[in-house]
Amino acid sequence: MPAGKAFSKDIILFDNVNKVVDNIVEQLRADVLQRFKRHGAVVGISGGIDSSVCLALAAKAFGPDKVLGIMLPEKDSSPDSEMLARELAARYGVKAIKEEITGALTGFGCYERRDEAVKRVFPEYDPKTWKMKIGIRQSGLFNNIPPIFYLTVIDPAGNEKDKILPANEYLQIVAASNFKQRTRMSMLYYQAEALHYCVVGTPNKHEQEQGFFVKYGDGAGDVMPIGNLYKTQVYQLAEFLGVPKGIIERTPTTDTYSAEQTQEEFFYQLPFNLMDRFWYGFENGYPASEVASVMNETTDRVEALFRNFERKRKTTEYLRMPPIRDYYYG
Amino acid sequence: MTTDIAATQEKIKNYIVQTSHADAEKIKNESLIFKEGFFDSMGFIMLITFLEEEFGIKTQDSDLIEENFESINAITEFIQRKKAA
Repeated sequence: MPAGKAFSKDIILFDNVNKVVDNIVEQLRADVLQRFKRHGAVVGISGGIDSSVCLALAAKAFGPDKVLGIMLPEKDSSPDSEMLARELAARYGVKAIKEEITGALTGFGCYERRDEAVKRVFPEYDPKTWKMKIGIRQSGLFNNIPPIFYLTVIDPAGNEKDKILPANEYLQIVAASNFKQRTRMSMLYYQAEALHYCVVGTPNKHEQEQGFFVKYGDGAGDVMPIGNLYKTQVYQLAEFLGVPKGIIERTPTTDTYSAEQTQEEFFYQLPFNLMDRFWYGFENGYPASEVASVMNETTDRVEALFRNFERKRKTTEYLRMPPIRDYYYG
Repeated sequence: MTTDIAATQEKIKNYIVQTSHADAEKIKNESLIFKEGFFDSMGFIMLITFLEEEFGIKTQDSDLIEENFESINAITEFIQRKKAA
């Protein structure tokens, strides 16, 4: 806990954003250029806030001509993503290329395997004209049972139906969808290796610690400049670095399923401005009662929330772990 | 009825032990299976699928509350209520 610093809603805000940016940029140069001996960096750009801040930081660290922005759309991607990614690259003078991954995903059977599982739950689902998403309906964050995922399908007339997702279908839909992030990462490494560059990983602190990433997919990379920053702090950096307003004001989405879905709906269950403050209190050891009083919550609910955070961190350890090889030393 | 309850409790306990790889001695009928960390969210999804298949019940949205799933006792009572309905 920061010595003598009482918990407050502003506790996570950076006082000096310029200094934070300078530190990150300096460290990026040291890691990529001096330690890894790479000549620059590639960044997958989705039109989202995290990858945008990473591209801006990379451009500042290595110079725009040593950074390549890569758009990696597939058939379920929002058209806004490409438009915003192009605007971003133009803002920083970085070259941007587009690598369409629908063909690769079709080859893996990503859509077919996913849709097969969806049809087991909703036989009437027609992937050609219907949309689908999975998400959490109720917030389990303030009680002691985990949330349950629902499958939602939307017919061409816009009528929605949802059902609790059974275990096997949940696993198959997630496993099939994860081809998207892993295919993107394969392409990022192709481009990086062809240029002798590094891959900039774009997860923020919550994605890392709560396990909201795909192992060896968007959870991969050589450097993760915002991996220890709260979303509120990422927004502070975005404002400072001049990220286009359209990106800053966009609601964070998963951009993974054919139906639109926010990250809050899919995973976090709390708006970022609240999640950041609660998580800060949790990881810095502030008493639940102190956090509850500042956040206008009850101590019981904050205690339940902290237990939930602890469980989430523990149960997602597998995602963050590199392969374990400490079995036998010959 | 008592035998039914005991058999249900046994089936649930066996399932929990088998899937959580926890020490059977540590799982009591009153143990708080989520609070004490025997199950995570994937474990909960699988538990619901198991209960539906094993006991022929259908879980509704309104059933997804802590009181119905917090322990083997709670789950057993939930199943009895569902079967009686």
